[in-house]
Amino acid sequence: MLRLSPFISCVYSLSSRVIWGVPHGAPLLLRPRPPGLMCVLAAGKKDLIDLPVLNEDELEEQFVRGSGPGGQATNKTSNCVVLKHIPSGTVVKCHQTRSVDINRKRAREIMRGKLDVFYKGELSEVLVNKKESELRKQEKRRKANGNLERKRLFRETLAANSKPGNDTV
Amino acid sequence: MWRLSLSAGYRGFGCRIVGPKGLWGSRVVHTCSAPAIPAGRITALQAVDLWKNHFTERGVMEPDHSSLYIMAYLLGAKTIESLEQEKLSEFLSPEKTEQMWKLCSRRLSRMPVQYVIEEWDFRDLTLKMRPPVFIPRPETEELVELMLNDLEMKPGTGIGADSQHTCLEVGCGSGAISLSLLKSLPQVRFVIVTNRFLATIFFCRLGLQDRLQIHCLDVMKDAETVLSLCRHVSTLVSNPPYLFSEDMTTLEPEIFLFEDHAALDGGKDGLKVIKQILTLAPQILSNHGRVYLEVDPRHPPLIQRWVEVNVEEMRYVETRHDITGRSVLKSLSVFMSSTMASFNQFVII
Repeated sequence: MLRLSPFISCVYSLSSRVIWGVPHGAPLLLRPRPPGLMCVLAAGKKDLIDLPVLNEDELEEQFVRGSGPGGQATNKTSNCVVLKHIPSGTVVKCHQTRSVDINRKRAREIMRGKLDVFYKGELSEVLVNKKESELRKQEKRRKANGNLERKRLFRETLAANSKPGNDTV
Repeated sequence: MWRLSLSAGYRGFGCRIVGPKGLWGSRVVHTCSAPAIPAGRITALQAVDLWKNHFTERGVMEPDHSSLYIMAYLLGAKTIESLEQEKLSEFLSPEKTEQMWKLCSRRLSRMPVQYVIEEWDFRDLTLKMRPPVFIPRPETEELVELMLNDLEMKPGTGIGADSQHTCLEVGCGSGAISLSLLKSLPQVRFVIVTNRFLATIFFCRLGLQDRLQIHCLDVMKDAETVLSLCRHVSTLVSNPPYLFSEDMTTLEPEIFLFEDHAALDGGKDGLKVIKQILTLAPQILSNHGRVYLEVDPRHPPLIQRWVEVNVEEMRYVETRHDITGRSVLKSLSVFMSSTMASFNQFVII
């Protein structure tokens, strides 16, 4: 019998990437998040509140690991999740991470975004945010170009002033 | 006990796999010589392609995934998808090329990818992986999800609750279940019983000393000691060996050659360790305590009947299937509840 003693030396790192302990199938972004836990939004940069809630009965999920036994009897690393929304025929594939659990959750997030676009079209929050983000980028570029132009003019002025034949030193 | 010859495979580019009775038969590549490192520089994608083809030629399973995961790891990422296209089209440094060759050669010997890169993800954790400690399976992620739902709803285990709850895990592997629950439920303490001292390395330096005890015991042979150490436990969880002995011989080489057989072989009917756990459970669990088990798809009705006859204080509650459950269930988790005073329901997942 051995108790773990603190002097056993080894290096270990605990990644604190994700977040939720939400129940299976619950709408993810609408669950209250426990305080104190780090929250990382996987899909998109803004917290989209109005996305459609998924009804698990309308979803068909396939976990692509090939045929044959599961559980302890197999050790496959492919963990692509394929999620289909039956009423609309929308299909989402996700293999972004090495965890099936996280891929399933992300697939659902992506599905919510896609369904938002599907049902709301141009009014979809996803598209609206995208447009806004594009406009912001354009504005930034415009300003940056403006700054470059001003700097160029300034340099030219300096060069002109330091030419021989001028009175200034 | 079966031992893996540790000098095989890891160090050179050639290797031989030797078992206790000499070389294995046709299922295993006896010598696995790697392709030569190219003279000129190659890009990440070219290296991935080269090795994918080589794995395919040698009959290594998941040739593309293996190649991609190893390359991603070398480039500092978890998956190839998270890397930018430019990075993949850049030339690899000589050091990185050599590392790719070294790691892929290990994969050539059928070493699981998780052991090759010495890490793998389980839910939101990145865990150390070392042979022959059992590699966590994705089905077990669902078991943890289920437990989190149940434990979060139970008074006293949620965040901010006053009292502490003790969970016992029998057989911890690389710490997948216990570390997930310890991370998400700050009020939970864990007691772990494992027959493998190596497993303790997975719990070092995590600052968990006050919430975690590890006992190196064999639940089959040291039952008395286990009972003396583990009392008033509210939750017992295990992913015990549950394969049928006859199925051990048909395991893929990745598992058969590299993973701990003791973590897989559950005896003739796969129930050896499960029965032992359920026999001890009533004395370990406090009132209304629960047992969560991952089992073979064939087990739930067998377990239900066996418990009815042999373990008075326990009752079946429910069976739940994991995500792959279609008509043929791939794996199931089982959980049961116990009470000292009166009959309770128990659940099979």
